[in-house]
Amino acid sequence: MALLEVKNLTVEFGSEDKPFRAVDSVSYSVDRGEVLGIVGESGSGKSVSSLAVMGLIDFPGRVTADALTFDGQDLITMPAKRRREITGKDIAMIFQDPMSALNPCFTVEAQIMEALKVHEGGNKKQRRERTLDLLNQVGIPDPKSRMTAYPHQLSGGMSQRIVIAMAIACNPRLLIADEPTTALDVTIQAQIIDLLLKLQEDSDMGLILITHDLALVSEAANRIQVMYAGQLFESGPADSIFAAPRHPYTQALLEALPERSEGHDRLRTIPGVVPGQYDRPQGCLLAPRCRYANDHCVKSRPEVTDFNGRDVRCFYPLNDQGQPTGLTADTTTGETV
Amino acid sequence: MLGFLFRRLGDIIPTFFGVTLLVFFLIRLIPGDPILMMAGERGVDAVRYAELKAQYGFDQPVIVQYFDYLIGVFQGDLGKSFVTKKPVIDEFLTLFPATVELATMGILFAVIFGIPFGVLAAIHRGKWIDHLTMSLSLTGYSMPIFWWALLLIMFFSTTLGWTPISGRISVMYFFEPVTGFMLIDSLLSGEKGAFASAFSHLILPTVALGTIPMAVIARMTRSSMLEVLGEEYIRVARAKGLAPMRVIMVHALRNALIPVITVIGLQVGVLLAGAILTETIFSWPGIGKWIIEAMNRRDYPTIQGGILMIAFLVMAVNLIVDLLYGIINPRIRYKR
Repeated sequence: MALLEVKNLTVEFGSEDKPFRAVDSVSYSVDRGEVLGIVGESGSGKSVSSLAVMGLIDFPGRVTADALTFDGQDLITMPAKRRREITGKDIAMIFQDPMSALNPCFTVEAQIMEALKVHEGGNKKQRRERTLDLLNQVGIPDPKSRMTAYPHQLSGGMSQRIVIAMAIACNPRLLIADEPTTALDVTIQAQIIDLLLKLQEDSDMGLILITHDLALVSEAANRIQVMYAGQLFESGPADSIFAAPRHPYTQALLEALPERSEGHDRLRTIPGVVPGQYDRPQGCLLAPRCRYANDHCVKSRPEVTDFNGRDVRCFYPLNDQGQPTGLTADTTTGETV
Repeated sequence: MLGFLFRRLGDIIPTFFGVTLLVFFLIRLIPGDPILMMAGERGVDAVRYAELKAQYGFDQPVIVQYFDYLIGVFQGDLGKSFVTKKPVIDEFLTLFPATVELATMGILFAVIFGIPFGVLAAIHRGKWIDHLTMSLSLTGYSMPIFWWALLLIMFFSTTLGWTPISGRISVMYFFEPVTGFMLIDSLLSGEKGAFASAFSHLILPTVALGTIPMAVIARMTRSSMLEVLGEEYIRVARAKGLAPMRVIMVHALRNALIPVITVIGLQVGVLLAGAILTETIFSWPGIGKWIIEAMNRRDYPTIQGGILMIAFLVMAVNLIVDLLYGIINPRIRYKR
């Protein structure tokens, strides 16, 4: 049984009769010791879906799912108090911007020890020792003196290490890292990712790595989940997705990598933006931006189907040569860019 | 920290001069001659009038009078009351505890009710409880103190008979003041029922005086709280699995209080101004009532001294508030 099992998770905002689906029937699972990469542009619902797993979606947001289980326990029907016992202990999360993730009014020590106090108890001395341990573990130089520092006295990279220490304080079995390096200097980014992967390996945690950095997930993740406008577009093992993307969106994302633009005058981009609440296309959500889209794509929405062992939401999944399959002569009206 | 303290104390000096200047000249703009007021209805003859004028120094140019006054102030001499002939500072110190008692209760009332109401409104944003507390606080803020105080007296004292109408304590009790604070003295006196009497006399003036600051504090707490609740670290705190109450009361409130403390400091000035009205209506023997009476009698030294002392008090409270920031918010802990 998977550690985390998510089936048809939907998160809606707005009124009951005209809801906005930030996350639309997304399913995935994470095993112990596995790294799942969730990629997609901004506004794809990556963060919202993980907040839903953490139970941090507030009214007026509505979370529904056919199944949302952690280690066999149903997170949705669970009483709030019981769920809080899991949140922060067994499932922990790291957020995007470390500089705003720490409470400016409390010392580093107080903030880490708080999580320990709530979930593990023990006395103050034990908690302090464990905090010192954690700071060592996340590679903070001179941890003793950092214990009593306030967040404004720390650099971004240092803050993110503290945030990570806070998240792993109670030895979580699943760690969700929501763009953990976006707000950091490039030089620090690699260090933080290395740290996360090392921690993941050492303790056999499940790790969900949310990012829009494809190069990063290609190295780090075992499996990849591509999301777009709240929907799952493609999922499968990392290497095979990189070798042969089945969804035109994945293909476009990969082409947008700078190293794949060699020989071109300009870096390649995907024209347009992710549709928001008010500009949702009637058919496939990608249709306005897809180079292969035809009338059929514009009019009706594809479902997730199995294509060569990969979950793909496309009428015409790509073959190994990167060409759409299943197109018949009369449907080929989309132009090739 | 010490350097900061000295710099702030340095700021007080020009303000202090400004207050003496304003108070001294503004009073002299009010029509009415203190000597004629002292003389009463029968008046004085011209010779005696000139004599008295010279005695009080009113025959000197105003500028000279001002500097005479200023020199006195810097020697700790606020002058003597025209009416009672007692030193202003002595009268002030006798009456001051009554005002401090009232103002303290007023601000306590405002804080004890204002902050929880603000927090409640913020966490139930947009629901009926938010609308209710916010419209109540707007009403409270808009009501003139004297009118609100009269309504309170009419309803609770006259109609229901729950509370006394005026004064600090029932005439049944008499004891020598020790601290000047009636609540403490009544306890010290050991007389049965004295404390209850003193307390019941305080209720309505406290409510009348504390309503406006309470409304301001509630609104400030609400908006500050709403801002803080949207911060990332609140989400992080919740992701730690903390109970909602702990997230709100520890993580959010501490940050939300920073602007609220400023407002509380500023409200102390408003409170002392309000005390003048409240004391007059409830016959509360404090400096507010004392200054009003002095104004009616054109008792220049009393008015000047009283206002100067109040101004000094407001400055002191705001200095304390500035120092408090550092305790609450480590980002503004003063260095050097």
